[in-house]
Amino acid sequence: MQQPRKTASESTHSTPAFDTDDTTHTACTAESTTDLLTVEGLRVQFPSPDEPVRAVDGVSFGIADGEIVGLVGESGCGKSVTARSIIGLDPPEAAVRGSIELDGTDVTAASERQLRRLRGDTVSMVFQNSMETLNPVLDIGEQIAESTKVHDHPDSQRLLDYLHAPLFSSRADWHERREHAADLLDQVGIASPEERVDDYPHELSGGQIQRVAIALALASDPDLLIADEPTTAVDATTQAQLLDRFRHLNDTRGMALLLITHDLSVVAELCDRVVVMYAGQVVETGPAGRVLRDPSHPYTRALLDCLPQRVDRNERLPTIEGAVPDPTDDRSGCPFAPRCERATDDCRHGDVPTIDLGDGRGTATCYDVDDSRPAAPYNRPGITVTAASDESDPTREPTPAAETPAAETPSSESTARSSTREKTRPESTADGDREPLVELEGVTKQYATANGLIDRLFGATATRRAVADVDLEIRAGETLGLVGETGCGKTTLAELVTGLETPTAGEIRFGGDPVGGVESRSAETLADVGVVFQNPRSSLNPRLTVEQLVAEPLRSRGWSTDRRRERVRTVLDRVGLSEHRARSYPHELSGGQVQRVAIARAITPDPTLVVLDEPVSALDVSIQARILNLLSKLQAEFGLTYLLISHDLAVVEHVVDRVAVMSRGELVEIGPVDRGFDQPTHPYTKTLLASIPSLSPEETAGVRPSASDGVSSSLDRPTR
Amino acid sequence: MDDATYLLHRLGTSIIVLLGVSVVTYGLLFLTPGDPAEVILTQQLDRQPSAAEIESFRATHGMDDPIPVQYVNWVTDVLRGDLGTSYYSDTAVSTLIVDALPLTIELAVASLLVALAIAIPTGVLSAVHRGSAIDYASQLGALVGVSMPNFWLGYLLILVFALTLGFLPVAGAGSYGQLVLPAITLGTGMAAVLTRLIRSSMLEVLDEAYVDTARSKGLRKRIVLYKHALRNALVPVVTILGVQLGSLLNGAVVVEIVFQRPGLGMLLVDAVFERNYPVVQGITLVTAGIFVGTNVLVDLSYRYLDPRVELGGETA
Repeated sequence: MQQPRKTASESTHSTPAFDTDDTTHTACTAESTTDLLTVEGLRVQFPSPDEPVRAVDGVSFGIADGEIVGLVGESGCGKSVTARSIIGLDPPEAAVRGSIELDGTDVTAASERQLRRLRGDTVSMVFQNSMETLNPVLDIGEQIAESTKVHDHPDSQRLLDYLHAPLFSSRADWHERREHAADLLDQVGIASPEERVDDYPHELSGGQIQRVAIALALASDPDLLIADEPTTAVDATTQAQLLDRFRHLNDTRGMALLLITHDLSVVAELCDRVVVMYAGQVVETGPAGRVLRDPSHPYTRALLDCLPQRVDRNERLPTIEGAVPDPTDDRSGCPFAPRCERATDDCRHGDVPTIDLGDGRGTATCYDVDDSRPAAPYNRPGITVTAASDESDPTREPTPAAETPAAETPSSESTARSSTREKTRPESTADGDREPLVELEGVTKQYATANGLIDRLFGATATRRAVADVDLEIRAGETLGLVGETGCGKTTLAELVTGLETPTAGEIRFGGDPVGGVESRSAETLADVGVVFQNPRSSLNPRLTVEQLVAEPLRSRGWSTDRRRERVRTVLDRVGLSEHRARSYPHELSGGQVQRVAIARAITPDPTLVVLDEPVSALDVSIQARILNLLSKLQAEFGLTYLLISHDLAVVEHVVDRVAVMSRGELVEIGPVDRGFDQPTHPYTKTLLASIPSLSPEETAGVRPSASDGVSSSLDRPTR
Repeated sequence: MDDATYLLHRLGTSIIVLLGVSVVTYGLLFLTPGDPAEVILTQQLDRQPSAAEIESFRATHGMDDPIPVQYVNWVTDVLRGDLGTSYYSDTAVSTLIVDALPLTIELAVASLLVALAIAIPTGVLSAVHRGSAIDYASQLGALVGVSMPNFWLGYLLILVFALTLGFLPVAGAGSYGQLVLPAITLGTGMAAVLTRLIRSSMLEVLDEAYVDTARSKGLRKRIVLYKHALRNALVPVVTILGVQLGSLLNGAVVVEIVFQRPGLGMLLVDAVFERNYPVVQGITLVTAGIFVGTNVLVDLSYRYLDPRVELGGETA
């Protein structure tokens, strides 16, 4: 059932992906008729000590019955605030203006009773971070049963009934509702729902929790489901199943869906229509196919250009220069004007008109909409918006990767790299048969799952193999990608390489010499491995300044203050942080800047190997592009070897030379990225690849694994 | 860890705690100045006792042995279920305690109910209306409640409700009417502490995403607050309840004297003044036992409040 997936280079150069007609999106063009939801001029402001924060600044759009609309934008653009306003969940201090007409009721002016009826009947919401959206002290069945009860009797909710107080509540009624809850769990693809009904949220895996959150939202049989980043926290196969589930619900129940996401490939996969937001404003709307294929607003164009899928492998990604405007500023003109190279004086002042593109192609809030521009596929791999100056990199030339097999590309580059290095590196040979830098042989890591002294005394020896008998080579100068589902052991494997964990069995060698855990490693070996941990913000001590953080590895090696300062200055410059940032604390920096600090800290002791654990997963698309560019630049400059862990296969495909696929602690496939992605041999790799949403919906139609697919659903197992 | 193992483990530590308590109180009593035999005989005979009389009293009550030997004898008796005999009335200490204990438990339970009845709604209300007049009023009330000494409030209540208005009896024990004022006196101080605790705990919980989920279902605000939020907010409150039991028993001593309730507190105070050491030790031991036992119950109750808790310390 799987087809080999196209490589990034193919899909960028080949046009068919985007130029199929709009017949699949005809439903979306009925924008003006009987809308289920109409948002008109919505403004939401939050008070702050200085100026109010304009989170949403004049947003208008509509959703028709049964339509799937994507609300797209980067973090802080106001998409989540818009969604919360629709369901009437703005914090009390927020000032909400404009109108939100939902099924004939204005939400902004609705009474508490009207809101309850809307929430119990018309609209449901699946919140971001579903792990935290379920009540930890109530079981799943109870939480779903409540929803159905509210739906049936929105106006007679008695506290004692809901607390199951005897005499005030009917046990039979609640029991019946729990049975119905099991049906709902079954509908969202949860195995053995009768048992899961009695589970508490902490007993379920991340994928199951997300499904439960959806079941909870469906319990009231809504006409509109709002889903805020429903697939961001789950891995590729679960994401594919959830998207499939949404499509199915839309088909069978005719339920409209407002999907809030920063992931454009999810939009391509699912949405009829898309609304693009930037800095609290809508910049473009239109059929999903049209917007992705032929974006009209410069911001949409720039955003699409940043996607690694659309750029040739090993080529630097286009970025968007500048930063999102301060939401407290008094605004006039187009919010994107300061970052737009085509901006004119008109764009910077006054109201920018929203132009109807005609023929049901949607709208764009921009002067520069060229109606005469042919609806040709948007196909410029070059840089649309000027590259950020700190990212420019003369040492690395774009390689014609489309024509060159990737296995050869890095080796031809590594000759150039070695010249920039003072430290001696293993010499690379032209035929790509490079010496391994790190070797893992039969590495196994077991954890005892029996907890407590008493269990151990009585000989309970339950163990779990996080990493099972892995043989792996990391070659000098390469980027090795490590992919797999949550809990497959990839992070543990990285911890074994860095020495944070010691293997239960097997051997790890650096340059031929066996090494143990961090305690037994020499200062030299320790300095040779840099780590960028997942979630940089929590991996940096909040009480140290950037300079202290970056210099810390040097301090423990006994460098003098002056030498340290000099080195920190050099490294910060290399990662593109200006010198005055040295005195900042992590909380004063943006997500991208914090990630730069984490990278700077990893490369300060001049390592050979850098382990990157999900280096871009928490970042917006445009920031992600900048960090990926930075990583390739540093690699070329310092001759670094990367071990990159990621669940984002588009990222992996863009930057790595070889890819290693892990499943349940075992290494199931390893090979050059071309082979791994184009001709996967292991069935698990095939499943993984098939589940990546493509930017072109037509390409993958019918290829994704469905929820009933045996291979993929067996992976969605509880964590304990 | 399963329930049986856990209880066994807790039983072991409880015995160690009780032994510690008994050593300390035993030691402290014998460090207090004055010869108990002399004090007791002076009171009983209403004159200065002769040397021979003191001698014989000491012999009959085993006071001639070295203190460690006396302690070991006492512990051995306690293990057999014999807490000793009062120096004055020749009544078994256990009988005295069994007579007084129900009155104290009644008072403690009633005060706890008063405290919760005040603290839960006030704490929830001030969390929901953070920064409003209700919030400030409740915080001020809590401050006053914490600062007010029990005996002062007790006398004030007697003055107003019993003497001036005549609604309730002044003192004594036995009827529910006689329980009202002491329970309010003891309960308000505790309510003050709990209100602040529930408020801060609720504030934390109200920011949680599952509260938004509950609201987005269309649930009434009252159900969101008292079903979804409060249950999560109560976990830290219950911990403090266990610790607060100590101050409740403390307070009971004062309140029982103010209201002339012949409970454990009053028995203890009388025994201390009379140097009636077997009674003091018996009460201390029983009180410590209640305290330890209640805290085991508190730990067990976590699991019903929060299914994530695993007994033995590790959370999932």
